[in-house]
Amino acid sequence: MPDLLEVKNVTRKFGGVVANKGVSFSFESGKVIGLIGPNGAGKSTLFNMVSAIFPPTEGEIWFAGKRIDRLPAFKVSPLGIARTFQNLQVFKRMTVLENVMVGLHTSTSSGILSAAFKLPKAKKEEETIYQQAWEEIEFVGLEDVAAVEAGSLPLGKLRLLELARALATKPQLLLLDEIAAGLNHQETAEMSDLIFKVRDRGVSIFVVEHDMDLVMRVSDRIIVLDQGEKIAEGTPNEVQNDPRVIEAYLGNDEEKEEATV
Amino acid sequence: MKRKGIQQMSWKGIAAFTVLILILPFLLSTSLMITKATFAGIYTIVAVGLGLLMGFAGQISLGQAAFYGVGAYSTAILTATFGLSPWLSLLIAIAAPALIAYILGHTMARLHGYYLAMATLAFGIVIHVLLVEWKGFTKGASGFYGIPKIEFFGFTFTQGISYYYLVWAFALLVIVLSLNIIHSRIGRALRSIHDSEVASSSMGVDTGRYKMQVFIISAMFAGIAGWLFAHMSYSISPGSFGLDGSILFLTMVVLGGSTSVWGAVFGALLITAISSFVQALGSKISFITSDFEHVLYGLILMLVVIFLPQGLFPAIAAKLKPLLEYAGRKKKAGNITAVKGDQRA
Repeated sequence: MPDLLEVKNVTRKFGGVVANKGVSFSFESGKVIGLIGPNGAGKSTLFNMVSAIFPPTEGEIWFAGKRIDRLPAFKVSPLGIARTFQNLQVFKRMTVLENVMVGLHTSTSSGILSAAFKLPKAKKEEETIYQQAWEEIEFVGLEDVAAVEAGSLPLGKLRLLELARALATKPQLLLLDEIAAGLNHQETAEMSDLIFKVRDRGVSIFVVEHDMDLVMRVSDRIIVLDQGEKIAEGTPNEVQNDPRVIEAYLGNDEEKEEATV
Repeated sequence: MKRKGIQQMSWKGIAAFTVLILILPFLLSTSLMITKATFAGIYTIVAVGLGLLMGFAGQISLGQAAFYGVGAYSTAILTATFGLSPWLSLLIAIAAPALIAYILGHTMARLHGYYLAMATLAFGIVIHVLLVEWKGFTKGASGFYGIPKIEFFGFTFTQGISYYYLVWAFALLVIVLSLNIIHSRIGRALRSIHDSEVASSSMGVDTGRYKMQVFIISAMFAGIAGWLFAHMSYSISPGSFGLDGSILFLTMVVLGGSTSVWGAVFGALLITAISSFVQALGSKISFITSDFEHVLYGLILMLVVIFLPQGLFPAIAAKLKPLLEYAGRKKKAGNITAVKGDQRA
């Protein structure tokens, strides 16, 4: 069986800036893989390429036996890739429930005319969308704010909403882009429990995270990027003790002053 | 089924509006006012389509009057010159603008950015020139004469109350269809594009496709309006379908508010009322000419964009909502306290 996700020698340049350089890794089903690295290491760029927001300059990305790096973003979702956004891309003027219902867009197909005339197919699908959206709302625990306009929610709930909306697309692979950013300790702990629950549903998860406790706890394997290149890959334990990783995070002696973790 | 947490169509609103439309002719004293109210219906159809395009697909069309003209002229030529039944030519009056919109939309790289506004502006000018110059078909600037009336099982719709009801039957249909679209998966997809295009495409929403579909629907609605206009009047001339007309439709949508279907309806009614009022004034005061109307629309457009960018309808609805809720709560609270003391604040 081929790997679920294969990233082959991917390079991405923005003008003269090389954001990712020759990154390769693969990803088997049913695992939680963490992606870490200092600020500016190219994590977000890599994520955006896997979710087809933009294509790589060089290299290939394969998902479940299909090449996806030249597809437009909307064609990747039906294949089974969903994502959340670090900078929160919720649909602010829609209710929480409606946000999640958009996640079910591709599992339904009635067109604009059958919607306009409320044909039986459209009505039936609407019912399915509604039920399944509620299931995801319950899964993340947003029942009490389901009817609230998403723009008025606090950050913690918005992160849950992004998760519910992504899950509604029924992904095989879920990309979590700093899902715990801005959450307090308790919320972060709850989020990592949720991540395990999602994995138990058979979803493979790819996590970009700054919160080391979270990423070390949930990941089966961790990939470390520094300055656009993969510098290490292994179990949380291996990665934590890898001298190159430590150097990337803490810098060598001269740079220690300005190092950030 | 009543569902919690999603926008749903309010049948009460539609019922109330229908009643208003039904009784309006009895409140209007002159046949001129009935004609104006009929025009309001025709404009409503165009404005609702344009409102969908602006408020839900985030695109601007400066050529809506041209689609309206394509609808009007195609039915005029087919019925008067080629003797087709108006009901058959209705299909062409819908299909021709739809086809043009499809072609325009496709060449505009699936409606990215503001190219559509430019393209429709150019298209509007082209259509206007065609209507004036292609004399063999359109009879040129002096106008096309002898358009037959619409018949329905022996009943002829002539200008007046019967035509008013015919127009508003179509307008109500267009309103209901648009509300249905908005409250469907397509409507949610469109609203989501407005808030975050990147998130909606990562949910699998083909944003270009839905923008295109709404553009086509808006052209179809304009075509229906053109068909109604042509068969209401004995003659039509290119002057009704120029850039002025497109800007008038735009003003209706901006004034009423594009984020709800009712906003466009409200805008169409209000602008028609203002225009009738100005024309009535013009017959008494000499300096108020038709140019004065254009200045007025420009001014309205400017003021609304500056002070009420959401449009009048959402602003009024927001003001009315607490009042309605208060009234509803009072009624409910009254009912409950009749049974048992209520804790509700």
